[in-house]
Amino acid sequence: MKRRDFLKKTSISTAGAFAAPYILPSGRLFAPTGSQLVQHVVLVMFAGGVRQQESVLQQYLDGSQENEPYPGNIMYNMLNGAPPEQKIVFGTGEGGINPIPSLLNSTLQSQGTLFPEVSAFSAGHYGGLNSILQGSTVTTQGLKQKPVNPTIFEFLRRHGGYSATDIWFVGNGIGNSTPLLNYSAHPDYGAQYGANFFAPLVTFGENGQEFLADAKVYHPENELSPMYKLKYFLDNTFEQYGSRLETLGNTEEEKQSIKLFMDEMFAKTLNNSIAHPAVSDNGDLRTVGYACELMNWFRPALTVVNLGAVDQCHSNFTGYLAALHRADHAVGHIWNYIQSQVPDMANNTAIICTPECGRNSDPNPILDTNEWRAYDHSDENALRIFSLMAGPTIPSNLMVGNEDNPVGRISDTMMTVADLLGVKPEVQAAGTVSPGTMSLLDQI
Amino acid sequence: MQAFKQSSIVLLVVLLSATACRKDPPPTFVLNEVELYPSGAGKTKLKSNEQYVAILFTNLFQAALSPNDIFDVNNCIESIGDKELAREVIISNFMNDPDVLLPTIEEMQADPDQFIQDTYVRFLVRRPSEAERTYLRNTIETDPYMTPELIYFSFALSNEYMYY
Repeated sequence: MKRRDFLKKTSISTAGAFAAPYILPSGRLFAPTGSQLVQHVVLVMFAGGVRQQESVLQQYLDGSQENEPYPGNIMYNMLNGAPPEQKIVFGTGEGGINPIPSLLNSTLQSQGTLFPEVSAFSAGHYGGLNSILQGSTVTTQGLKQKPVNPTIFEFLRRHGGYSATDIWFVGNGIGNSTPLLNYSAHPDYGAQYGANFFAPLVTFGENGQEFLADAKVYHPENELSPMYKLKYFLDNTFEQYGSRLETLGNTEEEKQSIKLFMDEMFAKTLNNSIAHPAVSDNGDLRTVGYACELMNWFRPALTVVNLGAVDQCHSNFTGYLAALHRADHAVGHIWNYIQSQVPDMANNTAIICTPECGRNSDPNPILDTNEWRAYDHSDENALRIFSLMAGPTIPSNLMVGNEDNPVGRISDTMMTVADLLGVKPEVQAAGTVSPGTMSLLDQI
Repeated sequence: MQAFKQSSIVLLVVLLSATACRKDPPPTFVLNEVELYPSGAGKTKLKSNEQYVAILFTNLFQAALSPNDIFDVNNCIESIGDKELAREVIISNFMNDPDVLLPTIEEMQADPDQFIQDTYVRFLVRRPSEAERTYLRNTIETDPYMTPELIYFSFALSNEYMYY
């Protein structure tokens, strides 16, 4: 070997030896510059709007209906406060007269920090979800449109080195924009950094049972491997013409794991053994059951769960109260399940809960079966929300801000997740978040 | 003598007129049958989920999927973030259906070139290039696990199959 060749090869080998430890699974060269505060984050979004009056203000009927002076807390897994004593309509049984028992020994509020008065940017559907996931204020973004700016999913995968199955978005359905929120149309990010997504009630529901559940099981090496090899050959040939499909970048191993998970979910659905909450009489609660199964299987770094039943408040106030009570039951179940059933996530998971927007201060004319008025979301009251978080490194039994002193903005949720999982500096540097967006942890 | 000359001239005229240029028969034009297929380069439009499922079902079953079923399968695809994985699971389901129409391994091995040609035309609506034909023929001849089912699977999952 010539001396020049020897020196060249030696230099390359040496550089490789130094660089190799820093190459992350995602292919990026350097680890994120922020410090990771927890191993896992669960973000629960209440889509469609929750009034402050029935949530953190605990006014129950007293704050919404005339001549119904009955206050009380119907979210007692999350919030401190006594439940209503009369006119109980939000529970189970005929007329909803049996409140669902609390699942937690102490509320999330006492275990963590509550921001009771947070500002939302948008009172419309999906504007809030987009703000939560993008940390920005693109309120003009239309329905059925991919997020314009990169989402927290993409920041984590691109800058944090998380794999596709580390990052999950669990939707309450496939309507409107929900299935589009797992990655943005931003040219520097996009599908390759997107989150895996399931809308479990569809995937594992009737449609899924008919067209997905009976999948033939192929041998990974003898059958799937040559099949993929030929597919890649065909794709490479086609790429010469310039067309390339967007993919989430699940590896073959990750795909196999997802397929095995799906098989198990189909079997458990038929056996009625999904990890549903004690009460699972609406879509949100059943969605949460699958989300728990998913966390147990994949141990994701980030799991975002979108619940949407509260939005029936447009026409059914009684139903809204029941959905809000169940959303609280869902959150209690998630937290309880993580701490008791998923040892790898217990004690190193943070949870954040926030609505995408509030609801109006004045009702619309629609009356429900109890002759109670319904509420839309379009006025200033609809820009009032709360944010509750708990877990390691998050101060316990702390309340930050109040009605006269709002602290926090909806976009802060995204920066808080970035902070907890160690990519806050990269998100700040990207310049796509709304000016002034801060981690809630930095506002304590 | 004079008579001989005249006879010779007449004979010459007769001979010349008998051997002169003949008129060609009128030409007859015919069309050869040639099947034309688009090339891969012309495929620039992405199929919708509904189009994909309808065409896939037709390719695998030689029958049409009902509009209601197309709608339901689309819901399944929408409910899964990794669309390629969703398609993979749907193909796996179709392959588990006893009504799926697949060539046998013996048929494939008896005439690999014909099988390759038919597969390209069926799924990609074009003929294979010589390089593609060679690669696939080698795969069929050397990989003992390669079956028509797996080849159909690859084609149905390929990126080119997603475009038209």
